[in-house]
Amino acid sequence: MSILKKAGMLAGAAALGAMLSTSAQAVELQFFFPVAVGGKAAQTIEDLTNDYVKANPDVTIDAVYAGSYQDTITKTLTAVRGGTPPQLSVILSVDMFTLIEEDAIVAFEDVIEDGADQAWLDAFYPAFMDNSTTGGKTYGIPFQRSTPVLYWNKEAFAEAGLDPETPPANWEEQVEFGKKLTKRDADGNVTQWGVRIPSSGFPYWLFQGLTTQNDVILANDAGNETNFDDPKVIEALQYLVDLSTKHEVMQPGIIEWGATPKAFFEGQTAMMWTTTGNLTNVRENAPFDFGVGMLPAKVRPGAPTGGGNFYIFKDSTDAQQKASLDFIKWISAPEQAARWSIATGYVAPRPDAWETPAMKEYVEGFPQAKVARDQLEYAVAELATYQNQRITTILNDALEAAITGQKDPKTALDEAQAQADRILSAYR
Amino acid sequence: MTARSLSAGIGRSVDYDRLLNSLGAWALALIWFLPLIYALWTAFHPGEFATRFDPLAPLTLDNFARAWEAAPFARYFLNTVLLVTFILVGQFVLCTLAAYAFARYRFPGSSILFTLVLLQLLVMPDILIVENYATMRMLGLVDTIAAIGLPYIASGFGIFLLRQTFMTVPKELEEAARVEGAGPLGVMLKVYVPLAKPTYLAYGLVSVSHHWNNFLWPLIVTNSVETRPVTVGLSVFSAVDQGIDWSIITAATLMTSGPLLIAFLLFQRQFVQSFMRAGIK
Repeated sequence: MSILKKAGMLAGAAALGAMLSTSAQAVELQFFFPVAVGGKAAQTIEDLTNDYVKANPDVTIDAVYAGSYQDTITKTLTAVRGGTPPQLSVILSVDMFTLIEEDAIVAFEDVIEDGADQAWLDAFYPAFMDNSTTGGKTYGIPFQRSTPVLYWNKEAFAEAGLDPETPPANWEEQVEFGKKLTKRDADGNVTQWGVRIPSSGFPYWLFQGLTTQNDVILANDAGNETNFDDPKVIEALQYLVDLSTKHEVMQPGIIEWGATPKAFFEGQTAMMWTTTGNLTNVRENAPFDFGVGMLPAKVRPGAPTGGGNFYIFKDSTDAQQKASLDFIKWISAPEQAARWSIATGYVAPRPDAWETPAMKEYVEGFPQAKVARDQLEYAVAELATYQNQRITTILNDALEAAITGQKDPKTALDEAQAQADRILSAYR
Repeated sequence: MTARSLSAGIGRSVDYDRLLNSLGAWALALIWFLPLIYALWTAFHPGEFATRFDPLAPLTLDNFARAWEAAPFARYFLNTVLLVTFILVGQFVLCTLAAYAFARYRFPGSSILFTLVLLQLLVMPDILIVENYATMRMLGLVDTIAAIGLPYIASGFGIFLLRQTFMTVPKELEEAARVEGAGPLGVMLKVYVPLAKPTYLAYGLVSVSHHWNNFLWPLIVTNSVETRPVTVGLSVFSAVDQGIDWSIITAATLMTSGPLLIAFLLFQRQFVQSFMRAGIK
């Protein structure tokens, strides 16, 4: 017992030491970041932060790894309500309304000083700013932003008698190609599926690709009205369900996100829809030649954007907010944005980042990296509403019910719309 | 049904019973063990064999090396050990004192207080995250190991479990000790605590494994490498955007759960025996 007691006291002492070790300096910033693309991303963020601090000795930045996106918003909101918010954080762009409602963040227009700063704000791709502005003010700065693209296995295409350089351009071709690419063994078991659209966890994101292609938006800009029961939305869901039930070119049931790249590498699927955040991973691990293309079109080409933005928090001193702004300006500047994009595969959020020598060299050796940028022209804002967590959960549940065959698409989406209306009517 | 036909039915079904029991036990054991077998297979083989079985696949420790480098695991291990020790000691001290009071003393409001303690069992700890955070901040403890542990120390489950155990201790033993001149604390330490050893062991096991695996609260209340436990280090690997690298994540999982597994295998005889002794008494 006495040994245990000593250990307990040691624990207390260690805890006290950890508390006191935070030193006092001119401007201290705490910075929460999520990691959604593996350990290397965390390292890159910490390296970038250290480089900045080295160049700016009057600022210290405590970069804190905060788990997944979900964990990060939980950690941040807890800290905000507990009275110790971070000064800046990277959080999903769609959580903007939640953060505004919590009165946790400030608009960048309230922190910037002059025309040069305004020009900096205006230089990001408009597709990324859709999710970062509301009511004429900018609340988020695009940082780890992505968009889903189509990856295809060129060897599998050649084997199936398809042109290895041409991905399916539209929904019909995707089915047609998929049928040629789906391989079955003697017992009729599928050894290679045509296409894979992951649906676990947050199926709404890729589904939004389908709805955009069908020329319909899921929610209005004000974030208080959804269109889940629009006939075009129902048609998009019907197409997604048909891929596995009617056309039999996609594995039936819920498809795991995490296992999707692996399935692609191992030839279990010839095409996959997934985020550009995977680009570096696929490039390093695919044992075959692969292509990256825009998602197939229906009425029009289209995809949602996704990923995280920088936010500045309200409960900080003026000096801290200024320093935060300065850091965000630095890390989103062309050289740093290029470095980050090359390390992870996230889309560099400004046109000038693509003009840097490093980026040019990268794109030359790896032209697939350009696809996501080119697709931005057709991209729309990711589904974001007030009470975003609840609304997306409602839509996710409806999609999963349709994908697993518990409900038909129309019933599922009609019910989802009714539930969403009940929540959002308070915000109209 | 009459009593006779009932007992005849029981007599006939005894063998089936045993058979079903063993079958059930094996099935459960296998299901429980499967993920572990998969983890062992994947962790010791290169990535391309993660979903393919080939008895001749080359063995490698590379996954462990890569996992170890991906986060400061040495420090995280130390933190976790400090954390579970701190929580366990705290829980034993507080729960023993509270349980002793509830089991052996009548004082005004004791049943209301005990109901309050039981109510704690009904509240999901996740609901209290914001409140707990605010409390830790008030105490100036945010980002310390103490902050991770403190909310769990006054454990309603522990108090309840120990109180029930203390109630089964025969009064005569206590009286005998009193005659020998032991005070209230002496009685508790010399009579009740030794007799409740199996309960302490069982509760300690549950507590240690729970806090070893806890993730969300430690992630929220801590910010620095010096205070974070292994689970936070482990979470770096489950980044869905990039697809999960099973080899590395299983290696890291084995690494972090390894000490617990080994401890259990080493002490399992004592554990099982103590549970049995607890049953006999």
